[in-house]
Amino acid sequence: MSAASRERIMARVARATASRAGVPHPGALATPAADDAVDAFVKRFTSSGGEVAKADPGRPPGEWLTGFLRKLEPQVTGVAVAPDVPPELRPGLPEVAAAQAGAGVSLAWGAAADTGSLILPSTGTRAVQLLPPAHVVWVPDGRVFARLEDALRELEAELPAAVGLHSGPSKSADIGRTVVTGVHGPGRCIAVLS
Amino acid sequence: MPADMHTRIRDYASRSGEIIREDPGVREAVTGATIAFDQKRLQGYSEVDADGWRRWAEGVKSHTLTHLDRYLAGAETQLEANGAEVHWAADAAEAREIVMSLAARHSVKSVVKGKSMVTEEIDLNPALEAAGIEVYETDLGEYILQLLDEPPSHILGPAIHKSLQQVQELFTDRLGSEPGGDPDTLARAARRVLRDAFIQSDMGITGGNFLVAETGTVALIENEGNIRLTTSLPRVHVAVVGIEKLLPRMADLSGFLQLTARAATGQPIGCFVSLIQGPAAHPDDDGPEAVHVVLVDNGRTDVLAHEHAWEALRCLRCGACLNACPVYRQTGGHAYGYVYSGPIGSVLDPGLLGLHEAMPLPFASSLCGACEDACPVRIPIPEMLLEWRREAQEEGLTPWKERAALKGLASVATRPGLYRLAGKIGSRLGATGVARALPMLGEWAADRALPQPSRRTFRELWREGIE
Amino acid sequence: MRVALFVTCLADHYFAEAAADAVRLLRHLGCEVLFPADQTCCGQPAYNAGRTREAARMAKHTMEVFADSDAVVLPSGSCATMVKKFYPRLVAGGADAAAPAAVADRTSAAAELADRTFDLAEFIVHRLGVTELGNGLAGRRVAVHQGCHALRELRLETEPAVLLEGAGAEVVPWEAQEECCGFGGLFSVKMTAVSAAMADRKLDTLPEVDWVVSGDGGCVLHLDGRNRARGTGIEFVHLATALWRGVAGDAR
Repeated sequence: MSAASRERIMARVARATASRAGVPHPGALATPAADDAVDAFVKRFTSSGGEVAKADPGRPPGEWLTGFLRKLEPQVTGVAVAPDVPPELRPGLPEVAAAQAGAGVSLAWGAAADTGSLILPSTGTRAVQLLPPAHVVWVPDGRVFARLEDALRELEAELPAAVGLHSGPSKSADIGRTVVTGVHGPGRCIAVLS
Repeated sequence: MPADMHTRIRDYASRSGEIIREDPGVREAVTGATIAFDQKRLQGYSEVDADGWRRWAEGVKSHTLTHLDRYLAGAETQLEANGAEVHWAADAAEAREIVMSLAARHSVKSVVKGKSMVTEEIDLNPALEAAGIEVYETDLGEYILQLLDEPPSHILGPAIHKSLQQVQELFTDRLGSEPGGDPDTLARAARRVLRDAFIQSDMGITGGNFLVAETGTVALIENEGNIRLTTSLPRVHVAVVGIEKLLPRMADLSGFLQLTARAATGQPIGCFVSLIQGPAAHPDDDGPEAVHVVLVDNGRTDVLAHEHAWEALRCLRCGACLNACPVYRQTGGHAYGYVYSGPIGSVLDPGLLGLHEAMPLPFASSLCGACEDACPVRIPIPEMLLEWRREAQEEGLTPWKERAALKGLASVATRPGLYRLAGKIGSRLGATGVARALPMLGEWAADRALPQPSRRTFRELWREGIE
Repeated sequence: MRVALFVTCLADHYFAEAAADAVRLLRHLGCEVLFPADQTCCGQPAYNAGRTREAARMAKHTMEVFADSDAVVLPSGSCATMVKKFYPRLVAGGADAAAPAAVADRTSAAAELADRTFDLAEFIVHRLGVTELGNGLAGRRVAVHQGCHALRELRLETEPAVLLEGAGAEVVPWEAQEECCGFGGLFSVKMTAVSAAMADRKLDTLPEVDWVVSGDGGCVLHLDGRNRARGTGIEFVHLATALWRGVAGDAR
C-alpha cells in the first residue's frame, strides 16, 4: 500500500515539477558574523532567558561546579550527569536518575552565537537535558561558533541520531498570554564558560 | 475530509457573524494576541535584513518545490541509511492507517503528541482513541483544547481565543486546580499530568517543520520542550510530515530556523530545536529505538500541479499572515471551518480540498495585502486569492445575482452615454432609491447607514463650471 | 502642467464635491485640468470579484479614453492602483493570449499608462514636488486613514499626512492607522459582519480628532456608514476637500 502510494506520489510530483521551469538555488544566506563570538553568544543567550556562569579558573572545575550547584535555588542535592561529561567536569554530588534530579549536567558539542544556542548531541543522554528543572551545560573552550550555519556545517559530518538546540529555558504564553517558564523542559538553562 | 467539513467551510459568512455577535470574547482575545504576535514579528524582522532573508527563503523553497522529486528521493535514501523507516501516504485515510499499524506493531497503549497541523489535517486523534489508545496533546495550548474537545484556532497559539478565566475554570473542573490560579500555577498543573504521560507513553507523534534531504533530518521548532520530550522519551517516534516540507541541505536549515522563529514570534530561534536523524544508535543515547517518517500527500500534489497555487506550498506554518490579518482577527480560526485558516488557509484550502469544497474562502478577504508583507517566504496571497476568484467565476461557483451585477456594470461602463444616464438617475433616486435598485446594498445596510449619493454628480458640476 | 482627471465612479456619484475640490486644488497648484467625458469605471469591482473578462473590457475602454492624456490623476488610491498595478497584469492575459503581438501592444500601452497615472497625493508630492500648502488647517486635529492599495501596493505611506501637515494640520497617531477598514468592495456585502467588525476596530481606536481624512472614497463610505449606524458622530473628510479647505483658508 505504502509502496504503491510512493510510486503514485513520486509520479505526480515528477509530472508537476516537469511542467514548470526549475528555480535555481539562491546559494548561502549572507548573515553577519560577530567578531567576538563568545561575547555575542552571551548577549543573545541571556536575552532569551538563558543564564551564563563563568567557572573559577583558580579551582578544579568539578569542585567549582559542586559549589555552584549547592548555591542554586532550590538547592540541588541529587544531580543527573551525562555519561560524556569527563571526570574533571563532574560535580561531587550524589548522582540520581534524571527524573529525580534537581539539575542535569551536560557537555555541549558547541554553541552558536547568532542564535544563542547550545548544541547538544543525543549521545549526552536526552533525559539529562530535558527532565531536571535546571540544566547546566559545559561549553568547551573554542567551541562557540559565530553563526549557527557554520556549526551545522561542521556537525553534519558527525551527526548523531538526534541533536537538540537549547536557546533558553522552556517557556509558554498559551495561558492568558502570560509567559511562564519551566513548562515541560528545564525552567533554567545555564551555560558554563570556562 | 470529514462529512461536515464542507458545510462548515461553506457557512463562513454566517459563522463568522455568529462568533462576532454571540462570543465577543473571541474577537477580543484573538485581536489582542495577534496584534502582540505581529508587533513581535515586526521587531524580529527589524533586527535583520528581513527583505533579503525573505527573498532568499522564497528562492530556496521555490527551488526545492521545482525539484521536489529529487529531494524526496534523497531524503528517503538518507533517512533509511540513518535507520529510520519511511512511509508514504497518498491521503488522510492512508496516513491514519499507517500510524495505526505502527501503533499495533509496536504494541502502543499510550501516545504523547507534539503540536502538529498535519495530524489535525488527517484527523489522527479520533482514530487512535477509537483503537483504545490514550492520546495526550502536550503543547500547553493544544492540551487545553483537547480537554475542551475543540480544534486549534491558530497555527502557533492554538488556544489564543481562550481567556485566562476560561482556562482557570477548565482546569478547576478537569484537573482539580484551585479556582483563580495564575498562569504559572495552571501551567504547573498541566505539567504534572503531562510529565507522567511523557514517561509512560510508548509512542511520540510529531509533525515536522522541515525535512533536510541531504542528511535525512526532521527539524522541529518549539518553546516548551514538549517536542524534545516527545521525540526522546517514548520507545517509538513517528513524524508525520507533508511532502512540501523538504529543504535541500543542512546549510539551508540554519536560515529557515531563524526566519521561522522571527516571523512567528520575533524570537531569534525557538527555545528548543530538535534535529532528528533516526533511532538511537549509540549506547549512551537514551532516545527511541524506532523512528518512522510518514510522508503525506493528501492534496499537496494537486496544489503542486496548479499553475498559481503551487507557491502556497512554500508556507512555513509560522502564522505570521494570521497575525497580520484584520479579517482573521475578528473571528479567529474556527470561522473558516478547516484546519488551515486565515489568509494562508484561504489560498491553500481550495488547492488541498478542491475549490468547490473550499468556497467561499477565496472571498473571505478584503485584499488589504498585510499578509503578503508579513509572509517570510513572500507568498503572493492577494494575487492568489484573485486567481481562485477567477476560477470560481469560471466554474460558476459564485451567486448568479453577483455575476449578473458585474456583467451589467461592464456593459454600462463600456458605453459612456449609458453610464452617464445611470449616474444621473442614481443621484436623483437618493440613498434608498439606489439601495432598491441595487439588491446587494441590502446586505450592506444591515450593519451600516446607506451611503448618500451626491445631489449632483461631478460630471454635472464640471459642466456647470467649477470655481 | 496638463492633467486629466479620472474622477472614478465613486467620486463622480458620492464625492462629487470632493472631486471638485481636487480640481480646485490642482488648478491652484498651476495645473490645467481636463476631464475626458467618456470615462467611466476603472473596472476594479469586476477585477476583485474575479470577473476578468468584464474587468478587461473596462480596462480597454479606460486605456482608450486616456490614451492621449499627459498625466492622469485619480482622487482614489485604490482606483489608481487598479490602473497602475492591475491593468498591466490584466491585459497580459485574456482571450487572445495566443496572439503575442496584440498582447505585447496592450502590455506596453498599459505599462505606459501606469507610468503617467497618479493618486492625487502622490501626484502633488512626487510629480509637482509640493508639500507646503500654507497654514489654513492650523489648529485642526486630524487622523489619516490610508487605503490599503495606496499603502501596500503603491507604498504611499506618508504622502497624505505630509500634505495635511504641510497645510498646517496636526496629524494625530492612530493605533489602527494602517489596518484595513474592512471595505474591500464586494467583501463588504459578502462578509458583512466581519467587514463591520473591522470598521468597529478602526472607530473604537480612533483618537480625539476633528476629522478623519482619507484619499479613498470607498473606505470613507464604509467607515462613515458604520459610524452613522452606530451614532458615533465622527466627521469624515476626503483628502482633496481637507486640503482645499486649508488652501482656501476655509477650515470650517
